Amino acid sequence: MRIAAFLPEILRHLFKKPATVDYPFKKLEVPKDFRGTPFLHPELCIVCRACVRDCPAEAIDILTVNEADKKFKMVIHNDRCIHCAQCVESCPTTPKALEMDQLFEIAAFSRWDLKKEWEYVKAQVKPKAAAGTPSAEAKS
Amino acid sequence: MAILKTLLYLFVYPGLIFLFIYSTFCEWFDRKVYARLQNRMGPTHTGYWGILQPVADFIKLLAKEDIVPERADRTLFTLLPVFGIAAISTAMMLLPVWHFSLANSSPNSFSGDIIVLLYILTLPTLVFFLAAWSSTSFFSTIGGSRVLTMLFGYEVPLFLAVLSPAIMAGSWRLAEIAAFYQHKPLLLLPNVIGFVVSVICLQAKLERTPFDIPHAETEIVGGTFTEYSGKKLALFRLMTDVEMVAGSGLIAAVFLGGFPGGVILGFVNFVIKTLLIIFLLSLIRALTSRIRIDQVISFSWKYLAPLAVLQLLITIVLKGFVR
Amino acid sequence: MRFTVPIGPQHPALKEPISLRMTLEGEVIRDVDIRLGYNHRGLEKLAEEKTWLQNIYLTERICGICSHSHSTCYTQGVEKLMEVEPPKRGIYLRFLVAELERVHSHLLWLGVAGHEAGFDTFFMYTWRDREVVMDILEMVSGNRVHYAINTLGGVRRDIDDLQKKKILDSLDFLRRRSEFYFKIGANEPSFVARIAGVGRLSKEDALALCAVGPTARASDIPQDVRKDDPYGMYAEVPFEVATATTCDVLGRVVVRVKELMQSYNIIEFLLKNLPDGPVAVRAPRRAKPNEVVSRYEAPRGENIHYIKSNGTDKPERLKVRAPTLANYPATVVMLKHGFIADIPLIFAAIDPCICCAERAVTLVDGRSGQEKVVLMSELRKQAQERWKKAPLKKDAVWPF
Repeated sequence: MRIAAFLPEILRHLFKKPATVDYPFKKLEVPKDFRGTPFLHPELCIVCRACVRDCPAEAIDILTVNEADKKFKMVIHNDRCIHCAQCVESCPTTPKALEMDQLFEIAAFSRWDLKKEWEYVKAQVKPKAAAGTPSAEAKS
Repeated sequence: MAILKTLLYLFVYPGLIFLFIYSTFCEWFDRKVYARLQNRMGPTHTGYWGILQPVADFIKLLAKEDIVPERADRTLFTLLPVFGIAAISTAMMLLPVWHFSLANSSPNSFSGDIIVLLYILTLPTLVFFLAAWSSTSFFSTIGGSRVLTMLFGYEVPLFLAVLSPAIMAGSWRLAEIAAFYQHKPLLLLPNVIGFVVSVICLQAKLERTPFDIPHAETEIVGGTFTEYSGKKLALFRLMTDVEMVAGSGLIAAVFLGGFPGGVILGFVNFVIKTLLIIFLLSLIRALTSRIRIDQVISFSWKYLAPLAVLQLLITIVLKGFVR
Repeated sequence: MRFTVPIGPQHPALKEPISLRMTLEGEVIRDVDIRLGYNHRGLEKLAEEKTWLQNIYLTERICGICSHSHSTCYTQGVEKLMEVEPPKRGIYLRFLVAELERVHSHLLWLGVAGHEAGFDTFFMYTWRDREVVMDILEMVSGNRVHYAINTLGGVRRDIDDLQKKKILDSLDFLRRRSEFYFKIGANEPSFVARIAGVGRLSKEDALALCAVGPTARASDIPQDVRKDDPYGMYAEVPFEVATATTCDVLGRVVVRVKELMQSYNIIEFLLKNLPDGPVAVRAPRRAKPNEVVSRYEAPRGENIHYIKSNGTDKPERLKVRAPTLANYPATVVMLKHGFIADIPLIFAAIDPCICCAERAVTLVDGRSGQEKVVLMSELRKQAQERWKKAPLKKDAVWPF
């Protein structure tokens, strides 16, 4: 047992820069592949509804606007989203129609400001090309 | 005219407004040093370098709801913070800062004023105990009994340690003690043990880590201060800050040779020496963890009291040689 | 003269609500009565209404600190039900994140122990160094807490060589800092005076009360699910079970620091011997009717999940036995004959994760001692009647 075993270490810290990041005046970088909020590329969606089925928080809704014109509307409820990115994984298209961005400062004053909508026409499923071409592969 | 001058002394300088400003400055210094020792930032955004943070805390507390518990003694509960501030402000009046040489000293410097100062410094502890007792809640009762138990531990070493340099200087008057050591600065060196003992005992009197047992946050919620809120809590926190300034002022006057140099230089001396002692207090606070109440008593009677007695013996032996 | 005092449900020493009613005699504790149920969320019922895939994210959110342990324990069990064998690389990555979680949890605990003892500087330093581990986890999995890296049949993400190198580099820094904290924890006189000899749990008591995790290992019982019943790839990884003989809080600090050093070795082994191949295989949507028990060594002790399926794509029953629940009876024995000042330390030494341990609640009638399980609508009605009859608050004074 030594008295003041800690002393040299804490005195050294008097002359170091503090470890605190002075948020919000300075921000930290997030790594790539950080799971932020999901968003849609409307021209790629084939309305298979796999994302609606697999979302643990029931945060995605796909509504039919006009059956004949194949117009659909997707609503992502960011106030219910738990940022798990299961919807991105369940999406079967290549390239994926759903993608995660890197935003994490998404606070709003009312939950109705957090819902995002897209209206689009359903994309055509590409017919299977010659064997050996990796077309719309289903991912696990 | 004399009345105006007295009122100026009482309320502006060296009265209440100066005390408020200087003690909040000392609290800012303590918090900033403590934070830097822990690799954090401390107060940063209120005013330049966060210097207005303790004032902001005081104003915020004034605006909070003030609840008196149902079974508490209402008069005592309300009057105690005011009484505490009054007591500790009186203690500040006795420090040898307000007069600038022994020749033209101020009227509140008299023979025996070091004893009076030590006595008045005991009053805040009794105020804490009465505040805890009149709150009648379980946590504050435990806090109150711990305050008194700690008093048995550190009071004796503090008195012995602070009175040793007075014995060497041969006087019970703070201004004379300071003048003696200003003439013979080498005689400050044998008082080192007493200096260390009195800094540790001051830490115990101010109830800071490792001695912050009476208001230990993680054990008894708030101890003495559990039931206090709003204006009364603001006054209690101000009282703790002023006590820190008064205690370090006393130790600086006795062990570090007073505050010579006239009006401006003496004041700068005061600021530098008190900030040095507050730096040492913050260092001890960052270095250790809280100890249990029975360990406080055994520590102070096994180590602090014998060291203080040793200091006293050294002083007596040396006085024989100096004369 | 004895009097009963409540510590909790609201108390600065507790991070989550739990009620410990202490019977005191002066400053010495004579008896403790633990009451749970303040943090009950109905997770087991909710798990019956979500599919196997959605339940991974639900079990992850049983706790924040040991989220990966619940998720892995569940996923292991379901993979057994579906008769799906994840590939080698997937298993290695899954347990790499598991050991990183153990590191972050033990560093967090060191800080919390320091804070409960009043040693705030230690608390700030350990949490500052824990940020290195959090950054690694964010880089590997995409989030600092709730890593969501498990999927049925393996893991969801892969790591590349750059990330591997970053993890290996930071291991040196972490090893140095952990040894320094161990030196401080064992040598700083005021800290050791608080934790030595406090919260004694003898070996016989620990065995009789079924203590798990570092609480049991500090009483010289070498019990670790990774060695007794190896799951994943732990049968191939060389490591030792950390024990201590002092049976008190100091022993628990020693055990956790030793486990930290072992985890660093395991992480290095996993990274250097990472096999190539896919990270996941496809898992079916439905599971055949069967039941399975899955065990896992969480940072706090042994975590048990019981899962029963009935042939559909949703589980029939999920039962979670968190390690803190097993340590509560041992806590009662540890608290007796201690001082009030030691309550936060003893309670923090079992590393309580109270939200993990909340399951169904029974109401006990105070007068007759009868127990019954009540519907939420009943409870709500009773609470509203009581509130209507309560007297007005007379003493509040509003300023300004």
